Amino acid sequence: MEVLEIILVVFLVFSALMTVRFDEELISIIFLSIFSLILTALYLLHKAADVALAEAVIGAGLNTAIFMSAISQIRHGDSD
Amino acid sequence: MFNNLIFIILFMLGFYALVMKTNLIKNVIGLNLMEAAVFFWVISFSDIGGEVSIHKLGEEVTKFNDPVPQALTLTGIVIGASTAALLLTLIMELNKFSGTIDRDQLEELND
Amino acid sequence: MEIPTETQPEVEILNKLMKKTLISGVLIGVAFALYHNFALMPEYQGLNEGLSNYILKSGLNDTGSLNLITAVLYDYRAFDSLGESTVIFGAVSGIVLILSRKMLPVSSKGLSFIVKRTLGIMTPFIALFGFYVITHGHLTPGGGFQGGVILAAISIIFSIVYGSAFDYRRYSPQTKTALETGGALTFLGLGLAGILMEGAFLHNLGFLTAETGTLISAGSIPYINIGVGFKVGAGLAIIFYSMIQKTFEEDF
Repeated sequence: MEVLEIILVVFLVFSALMTVRFDEELISIIFLSIFSLILTALYLLHKAADVALAEAVIGAGLNTAIFMSAISQIRHGDSD
Repeated sequence: MFNNLIFIILFMLGFYALVMKTNLIKNVIGLNLMEAAVFFWVISFSDIGGEVSIHKLGEEVTKFNDPVPQALTLTGIVIGASTAALLLTLIMELNKFSGTIDRDQLEELND
Repeated sequence: MEIPTETQPEVEILNKLMKKTLISGVLIGVAFALYHNFALMPEYQGLNEGLSNYILKSGLNDTGSLNLITAVLYDYRAFDSLGESTVIFGAVSGIVLILSRKMLPVSSKGLSFIVKRTLGIMTPFIALFGFYVITHGHLTPGGGFQGGVILAAISIIFSIVYGSAFDYRRYSPQTKTALETGGALTFLGLGLAGILMEGAFLHNLGFLTAETGTLISAGSIPYINIGVGFKVGAGLAIIFYSMIQKTFEEDF
């Protein structure tokens, strides 16, 4: 499955690039969640079933919820 | 060779977000990216083309994947999530006290 | 006496350019060091000899569990899982210490009616799936940590969809703390029982074992899984509940 792995890795690098680029935090967190999802598929492609289950539950579920509940309570300063 | 290059790209992206950006939440996201790059490299390096590491009853499978790096990666994922939660709590309290989440403005507050 | 803050614009641009060059130099240096590291690494020897070869050959006979990763995590390296549970416990204690200033449960309205009815039907099945993943840790992929996080997701669903007052009434923080402490004491109790019966801390106890492939096999691994699952699930639910407690102060 060489072609599938190359396609998934290209999407992985693209979503990591989009995570770092933007200034607003909400967009970065959504791209982090997409990054976790593609990483789950890549773990399954390398025949690691336990790690894929853990990354799916923790990365796409709990991490996103905690980040979202943290940025809904901050107030920005005067600039930027 | 391919996996080494991808690891270097992802690790340097996370490192850039940790060092160059002044938003504190971007730093936490960069830390998460660095950890995810390391886990991806460990799993893809120890893949020798075998099956999932679970015995089946009554069948003899000859080639399994290595189970030790997978156990270490499992531990690392959970610890990464706990560390991010604690860091975000500290950032929330700091923002309530000073009203900003920018690293440079917090340094000016010290004077 | 104040230092005059107006510098010439050319000096400022030069300063910024020098700083950017310095930082890009550091980044390129680190990338080059990482690349050089891979050139120096020895060849991958495969699984012909060493620790992994021993685990693959005699993992089933030693522990009796079909899942080799669970055998590594809860029998051969059970001390590391104890350390990981301690890290989660430390994070939960730190978060509750910082954030627990408001003691009254405040609430929001929750989401719309369709979401409430749909999740009211789905929640028992999510709980059943979570318990399945925890208890069948030695037969299928899964184990204590994954199933515990699935159980914590139920508490998160209650807080978001029904409002945090519902979550406070259904599972108060005292119940969650009792579950977390119970899980930790189960893990430690099985470890100390290993000293009394077999002679080593966290040794696999050989009693209560039926044939391999059934639910009650593999010694004390299912019970350690249950303890770790409750501990991790309750800890992460406490983290989420403490973090959103202050959101709805202005809403109320």
